[in-house]
Amino acid sequence: MALINLLFFPGFTFLFMCALFFEWLDRRIIARFQERVGPPWFQPLADFIKLLAKEDIVPSGAHAKAAALLPMFSLTAVLTAGLYVPVGNVVTASFEGDLIVVLFLLSLPALGYFLAGWTSVGVYSLIGGHRSLLQYFSYEVPFLMAVASPAILSGSWRIASIAAYQSQTTWGALMQPLGFILAIIGLIGKLKRDPLDIPKAKSEVVAGSLTDFSGRKIALWHLSIYIQTVVGIFLLVNLFLGGSSHQSLFVALPIFGLKALGILILLSMISVLYARLRIDQLANLGWRVLAPLALIQLLVTIWSGG
Amino acid sequence: MQQWLTKQVHNIVSWARRKSPWILHFNSGGCNGCDIEILDLLTPRYDVERLGILKEASPRHADILICTGPVTRQSRDRLRQIYEQIPEPKWVVAVGSCSCSGGVFQGGHNILGGVENVLPVDIYIPGCPCRPEAIIDGLAQLLETIT
Ligand code: SF4
Repeated sequence: MALINLLFFPGFTFLFMCALFFEWLDRRIIARFQERVGPPWFQPLADFIKLLAKEDIVPSGAHAKAAALLPMFSLTAVLTAGLYVPVGNVVTASFEGDLIVVLFLLSLPALGYFLAGWTSVGVYSLIGGHRSLLQYFSYEVPFLMAVASPAILSGSWRIASIAAYQSQTTWGALMQPLGFILAIIGLIGKLKRDPLDIPKAKSEVVAGSLTDFSGRKIALWHLSIYIQTVVGIFLLVNLFLGGSSHQSLFVALPIFGLKALGILILLSMISVLYARLRIDQLANLGWRVLAPLALIQLLVTIWSGG
Repeated sequence: MQQWLTKQVHNIVSWARRKSPWILHFNSGGCNGCDIEILDLLTPRYDVERLGILKEASPRHADILICTGPVTRQSRDRLRQIYEQIPEPKWVVAVGSCSCSGGVFQGGHNILGGVENVLPVDIYIPGCPCRPEAIIDGLAQLLETIT
């Protein structure tokens, strides 16, 4: 049973399929908003297979071992995080304090991304790596504070109990709208999605840290970013939209899926609507606006008797 | 059995290659007319993302190198360098009369002629500038040859 959980549902296979589906839906929604048709449904799969089968070049001077290990490291971190996040009413592994473990595992890819830029030779990779670290320091603090507020409100640091608490009272997004907005902004920064895609901005730094990678390394990096998207969205569904704790799996899962799709559509709409910030603008926004707001949310939660 | 498996894997991989060609665009000395037509491909009217085509910024991520303009003495080495940075398997498309033969720049003191003088070209798309429909048609013909 544990092996089935690990490999199929809600383990690797399920997260992989979700990642492909979310990537397709994301690209399709963005295309539809831009009055384009968008890619066909099998596009992410074709991209993945093609990248796996391409030549794998390591530029001379780059750290070959680090280049090979870092994408696997990020992928492992996000897949492990996926195990601790309940999907529907299925809780694979859970203990008091797993929220902190998940947050830690979800922020590991940022470190991997920075190191990938640091150990390759190109200037674009180096700039991309530095920007990703600077961006990390801007979004992570408000994100952590925003995610801590539902935990304090429900009096538990276990994701499953936070979701259960909310299904008895009401959604966290209604009780803590400010925290929800901040968590969404933090998630966009974490995933390096469109308004905050500063570390990999095409017109400025080519492809950021990943500029010099090719073949299966790029495939694994893309996969880990999209699995991070899936796990991040699932986490927010549990923390702010009450998860889904219906008795029957066949009711709980569709409800959970609809909530997750809602957040995905929100993210796609935001990336169509807003233009990219500069890195100094993001640092300003993060420390002058988002962090104080997150602090207010946290204090209000504590005082209102969490 | 093993042969059959190898064949199936090969089929899947070439299907993926046909369905997901990522392009890199390089102008080696043209007038910018063809480049604007290539950008047309990404606009809502032509939208090549429905064929799986993405325009990549780094040669390491690309499959198809789209060249415009004649090759000048100055850009020759860079063109070759960019071609070598693209991982195998890769294809080269010459877009516009200039990159097919040198076009109106033919015989200039700094012009080497078409892209074929420097790189192995897989498909030529003439026109000055060539229409977006012609570029899409050329790319589709190129993709059909991938087996
Ligand atoms: S073919 Fe014509 S439009 Fe294209 S680069 Fe040459 S001169 Fe310009």
